[in-house]
Order: sequence, then structure tokens, then C-alpha cells
Amino acid sequence: MSSSPQEKPAPGATIPGLLACGLRRPDATCQSYSFDEMYPREHLEDMLHQLAGTMTWLAGQGLAPHRLTWTFEQGQIVLIPRMDGALLALATQPNTEAAESVDQLVEEFFSLTPGN
Amino acid sequence: MNAPTKQYQILFVDDDPDFLAMIRDFFATLGENIWQIHCATSADKAIEFLKGRKMDLVVTDVNMPMLDGIQFLHILNRTHPDLKKAVITANATEEKRSACLAEGAELFIEKPRTPEGLKSIFVMLEELITWTPQEGFQGVLRRVGLQDVIQMECLGRNSSILEIHNLQLRGRVYIEDGRIIHAQAGDMVGEAAFYNLLALASGEFQLQPFELPPKRTIEGQWEFLLMEAARVRDEMIAAATPTGKTAELAPAVESSTAPVMGVHVEETLICSGQGEPLYLWQCPDRDARVALLQNVAQQAARFNQLVPLGNFDRLEIQLAGSRAVAQLKADRMVFVRVSSTREKSIIRIA
Repeated sequence: MSSSPQEKPAPGATIPGLLACGLRRPDATCQSYSFDEMYPREHLEDMLHQLAGTMTWLAGQGLAPHRLTWTFEQGQIVLIPRMDGALLALATQPNTEAAESVDQLVEEFFSLTPGN
Repeated sequence: MNAPTKQYQILFVDDDPDFLAMIRDFFATLGENIWQIHCATSADKAIEFLKGRKMDLVVTDVNMPMLDGIQFLHILNRTHPDLKKAVITANATEEKRSACLAEGAELFIEKPRTPEGLKSIFVMLEELITWTPQEGFQGVLRRVGLQDVIQMECLGRNSSILEIHNLQLRGRVYIEDGRIIHAQAGDMVGEAAFYNLLALASGEFQLQPFELPPKRTIEGQWEFLLMEAARVRDEMIAAATPTGKTAELAPAVESSTAPVMGVHVEETLICSGQGEPLYLWQCPDRDARVALLQNVAQQAARFNQLVPLGNFDRLEIQLAGSRAVAQLKADRMVFVRVSSTREKSIIRIA
């Protein structure tokens, strides 16, 4: 659902420093939320697909990740796979509350019913 | 009667005859007949010239046709291991500097554009000529960081003591056969001391001859220690107080009771920005790891085209029971995989 309106608040939407988050379902459909105008949702979905490709590629190298953390000067992208094949991606600003709360957001993600 | 002044034999190698002519005129004047200057317009002519002649110093350009300066240094290292070598180049990149230093150049300098620049180079070369190699050495390297020096010592499997000081802190890092075995800084010892020393924003350092430390407090692989030092430094900068002072790590304490999580380096690969391996350790598939680093670099660049993320630093891959880090720097790429153990560590950071 690349461009459908956001009907419910995204998890962590109020956490300062959370730039964007997105979910890529096992059927390759995406749900994304942007909290910064520099992070347009269509680009987030591109990134989600690329990140999913990286996960698969790494697994093929014998490095099946439980978590990937891409650290840039102005942002950090954390990618977590769930057993059902869903992927959660979080983009946070460094040294912010959101960056500190990544583990909590991940826990929320894992507590969701698979398929959601 | 005064003893005769020693004359120094110096060979300059450059494919630019005008530059050689300028060097000959200028340095012969500054050298006041103490410098005997010889010139060669290519590396192979220089190799031919060196046969049967004893030089005190060879100064070479990097970009030359056929045999370039880095290849020339590599040959000199084998044929004339004791010969002092310096590089003067118009194209002074970090990558070339690292390559030249790795091939045994003692000095890497950018080609001067002014007479003042030439004078500075004369002074540096004179220092290098008169420098007597001994156990431990004093540097004339310019713009070299602590990390570079430690890396060079470890890669060369050298034994030395790196003395570091600035106004706030004074300390020592002990390197034995290329392994970092002890560090002390103020009241701190072990990894905490090491990380604090490497987090210094500025200061001075000197390499001293090795002697046994009072005790051994560091056991980790140097590659991991340097990466961890970079991470700790980033954290210290982030944790800097509003006055701009950097927070100091708590001193290391000995773990005498409960076992603590230790790390074991499973594999390491350091390669140039172009993917040429510079250092390998227990790397099961070199080409695959180089491909991984290059893939990560491409992916990071793609992300940056989509959203503004700034310079890429590293990718951490959390695995079952281990962790891998792919770190990209301007001149090199590093891949390290470590596993966590429950073995007792001698030192931990409080």
C-alpha cells in the first residue's frame, strides 16, 4: 500500500528523532510512515525493498542477520526481520530519544500478530 | 683541524625534467655542497643507477610511466632495505600516502608550489638524512594520526611503546610483536586507558623502544581495539558536556569474580578503497568479503540518493552469537566479525 492515507497513528510517531519507519510484509507490500519531509514515503518503500534484498544477499553469504544497523553521519537505519518474513525498518536521528528507544520499538514490532 | 664534513648522496627520481632541474639548483644551493644530488627521469633508470652506488636517500615521484613510485619503492625495499626513502608527489592522496608508507617510505610530501615550500621540504629531507635509525624512532611524518601509527606498528608486528601526551592527559601504549598488550593513562590502565588516549583530539606522540610493561592489561585483537576506540571516541564526543569538555571514561577495573562478556575476533579483512586486500586474518573467503564491502558501499550510496543521510560510517550485522561490522573510510574498508564469549576477561570497562 504505497500511498494510501495513514489511518492510524504510527507506532513511535511521537518520539523525537524518529525520521521514518516502515514495514515490508512477506508478500512484498509495504506500509511506511514519514515524520520528516526529507523522507518521502515513496523513497522509503524503495529503501525497504533494497534493504530486503540486502538481507537476502547477506544470508546467501552465510551472514543471516538478526538485525542490521546502517550508521550514517545524519541518520541511522535499523532493519529487523521477523520470523514470518516481515521486515521492520526504523530511521532515527543520531543521539535522540528515538535512537535510544529502538529496542522498545522493536519489541512492539515483535509483539504484533504476524501478518499485521 | 676539523674533520671533513660528510657528504650525503641523494637520488631524485621524477619523470618531469624541469622539476629535477629546479630541485638540483635549489637544493644544491641550500645544501652548500653537503648534498650531492643525482637525478633519474624514470624508476628503471634509477634502479640501474643504484647498482654499485651507495645512496643516503632516494626521493621519488609517484605517478611515473611504466614503473610507478609505489612499485619502485616495493623493489627498493627488497634490493636496498636500509636505504632511506621519501616521496614527493603532486597528487598527494590518502590512499597513495598509505601505499607509500606501507612500501617503506619514511616521508610522504606534496610537491611544493612556492620557494618557501621547497625550503620546508629541504628541511624535512635533511632531518630524514641525518636521522639515525635506532631502537624506537622519532618521526618526521606529517599529518599522521595515532590510529595510523598503531596500525603500522601492529601490521609490521613491531614492538614499541607509543608515548602520548597533551595538556590533559599523558599515557603509554605498549605494543609487543604487533599486539597491543598494555596501556596506561593517568590513573587508568587497560582498554579504558587505550580508548581515552585514542579519543584525544590533539597532542603529541613519540615511539620509544619497547620494554616490558608493569603488567599486561589488554588481550584483544588490535583491529577490534582500534574499531572500538573509534566507536568510543564517537560516543565521548556525543556525550560531551555543553562546555565542550569531553567526558572521560570510567577507569578500567579488574574483573575478579563474575565472568564478563568477552569478545573473540573471528575474522578480519582490511582493504584499500578499491578493494585491494591490505590485511587478512582468518578470512574464509576473501573475495566474498571484498564483494560484501563493495556492495555495502554501493547500497549506502543508493540510500543517500533517496534520503539525506550524510557520510556513511558502518554497517553492523547482528548474527546468531556473533556480530560483524563493515566500516568504510575514505582510504580503506574494514570487515571484522567478532563472537561474544562468557569467558573471563581480565579487563572490562566499568
